[in-house]
Amino acid sequence: MTKALFKKQMMEVFSWLYKDKKSGKLRTAKGIAGYVLLYLIIFGFLGAIFYVVADGLCEPLVTMGMGWLYWCLMGLISIFLGVFGSVFNTYASLYQAKDNDMLLSMPIQTVRILLVRLSGVYAMGLMYELIAMIPTVIVWFLKAPFSGSGTVCVLLIPVVLSVLILTLSAILGWAVALIAGKLKHKNIVIVIVSLVFIAGYYYLWGQAYSMLQSLLLNAERIGGKMKTALYPLYHMGLAAEGKPLSMLIFTAIIGALFVMVYVVLSRSFLKLATTNRGAAKAVYKEQKTKTRSVGSALLQKELRRFLGSSNYMLNCGLGIILMPIGAIALVWKADMIQEMLAAVPIERAVLFLGAAGAVCLLTAMNDITAPSVSLEGKNLWLAQVLPVSGRQVLMAKLKLHLLLTLIPAAVLTVAAGWVLKPGTAFAILIPLAVLLFVLFMASMGLLIGLKMPNLDWSSEVVPIKQSLGVMLALFGGWAVIVAFTGLYVLMDSILKPLAYLLLVCIVLLAGCGVLLRWLMTKGAEIFEAL
Amino acid sequence: MLRIEHLTKIYGDKKAVDDLSLHIHPGEIYGFIGHNGAGKTTTLKSCCGILQYDSGEITVDGVSMKEKPLVCKNKIAYIPDNPDLYEFMTGIQFLNFVADIFGVSAGERRERIRKYADAFELTADLAQPVSAYSHGMKQKLAIISALLHAPKLIIMDEPFVGLDPKASHLLKTLMREMCDSGSAIFFSTHVLEVAEKLCDKVAIIKGGRLIKAGTMEEVRGDMSLENVFLELEEEK
Repeated sequence: MTKALFKKQMMEVFSWLYKDKKSGKLRTAKGIAGYVLLYLIIFGFLGAIFYVVADGLCEPLVTMGMGWLYWCLMGLISIFLGVFGSVFNTYASLYQAKDNDMLLSMPIQTVRILLVRLSGVYAMGLMYELIAMIPTVIVWFLKAPFSGSGTVCVLLIPVVLSVLILTLSAILGWAVALIAGKLKHKNIVIVIVSLVFIAGYYYLWGQAYSMLQSLLLNAERIGGKMKTALYPLYHMGLAAEGKPLSMLIFTAIIGALFVMVYVVLSRSFLKLATTNRGAAKAVYKEQKTKTRSVGSALLQKELRRFLGSSNYMLNCGLGIILMPIGAIALVWKADMIQEMLAAVPIERAVLFLGAAGAVCLLTAMNDITAPSVSLEGKNLWLAQVLPVSGRQVLMAKLKLHLLLTLIPAAVLTVAAGWVLKPGTAFAILIPLAVLLFVLFMASMGLLIGLKMPNLDWSSEVVPIKQSLGVMLALFGGWAVIVAFTGLYVLMDSILKPLAYLLLVCIVLLAGCGVLLRWLMTKGAEIFEAL
Repeated sequence: MLRIEHLTKIYGDKKAVDDLSLHIHPGEIYGFIGHNGAGKTTTLKSCCGILQYDSGEITVDGVSMKEKPLVCKNKIAYIPDNPDLYEFMTGIQFLNFVADIFGVSAGERRERIRKYADAFELTADLAQPVSAYSHGMKQKLAIISALLHAPKLIIMDEPFVGLDPKASHLLKTLMREMCDSGSAIFFSTHVLEVAEKLCDKVAIIKGGRLIKAGTMEEVRGDMSLENVFLELEEEK
């Protein structure tokens, strides 16, 4: 029975490999091979990043006789990767698994169900951990002196370390379950946490070299602290250096930690898996009713849909955050930017063109309209049965895109103007070009959404992240900018930058006219007939 | 109130509804019965403007659904068999959204939300997101939203599925009240006992074609509706 349960769990964990999420059909052998190849490339690419880090650390630390510190540091990176990669999966697969009720109704011990579920988390954690651990092991074999017992320990370390990742993931997964259930504005919190993580990632990546240098300079002091603070990892490092006793200590500590957590989890598993956690139930109290026009009600509906989905916000509205950040950076570093630009031997008017292009590039990060038609999904009947025209519905989608893109774009454009100080003509034409570009891209996104609708989805991730339409809208925006840049290079000798910008505005205006006319006539008909 | 003339709807090479004609007058509760896949939902969806039909004509209160769909939709309310409502809204936000679309005044909507939400015992849950609702609660919310603009015609697809006995009883009472005040109701059901007790008229559809329609007495004769239905189903 346990074997059957493990088999089921592994099939679940690796279903992404052999089953197409969208259609639910099994992949062909070629499809699986292609998928494996794709993942190997991604794995290799990410692994190369950690290889560079490992390569920078290994030799100096081994030379200083602190090879164990190399393992501690790379171990920490692997733990971070493994835990971060599998913590949300842990919560979902332990407590929210769809087959929990079915398995609990079968004659299977609860502890066994938990063990099987944890095996899935272990496999997932191991996969993430190996992204950093494989380069760690390779670099060690290349740079550290050979030892027979050390080699055996080095090969065992990833397997044992993954148990620690599993233990931490299990604890954090439980904590996520508690916190997530009590959060009122879960989607906003997820967006903020994700953005903080992305910002932190890029900050750390930017500082990686100086951090590495400082680490090597203070290796003895840091090492001294790590010996006590990260005792199991210290022994893991000693084991890699060829001390089997340390391998035993490391394994025993990790094993004991896991058993403790397993016992605690197994006692609460049944309750947690069968309790429907949630935020404190809000009780309705009648409030003063505010009536809205049809257009305003539809726009508010679109806004609620956007704010109600962290996936939608993060994947289709990143420009909303990036543009104000860009504006702040411009104002903050204004002096430096002005000095830099003064030193660049480029005509100022060309710089203004470049600034307009840069603002447009950031506005193109927003592709809110592109998945908006598909996102109607099973709710489409409401838009069709209510007394609203397709035109009104499409207009609301368009307005949301414009509202959420033009406001931050205006902030960025004003900041760029404050730093670059263009003349009156550019000061009028740059915002106009940005406005028309945003309108053009919003309309184009809607057109793509109408031409490539996918209303039959079970997860909103499909229309938001995995649709060709969204990709086309996102890269299409950048392609338009590249095309305009290329055209300028070709027309450089014929047209001055100001005249070219005016031409761009005219072209965009004409494009907007054509697209809007299509959307309000043919597009509305297509929507009504979906 | 609702006039369906020679309605035909084709999916690929299959006629889902074939030359169907029905007249539903104000004050009538009209039941629509048939086996699974007979064409009930297609007919109902065509009547409320969700599906575009291939031929025939549907008029609501004398207005063509094809020519003036928005005028027709203003007079209609539709309750589907599986109400997929906006899960990113709370119950009250959804009701206010629907009321805004139909232009229901603040006073009227407040009064109607209070009346129907209290009756269906949903008031306390209106602040909850729709995603947290059970099937029955969604069904109740869909019914309340359908009644907000006091529609002249209510079209319902299996309205009793998922409702608890109390809510079921309440819905039946409301249906009768609505019709007594001049509205009309056209609904599909598999529960023949309910149809028999509740409906003034009934239509039976088979393979997309209307095989019998009329007052309950005319259709039923001396038999029960169940027996009539089973007999007609067995006939070629």
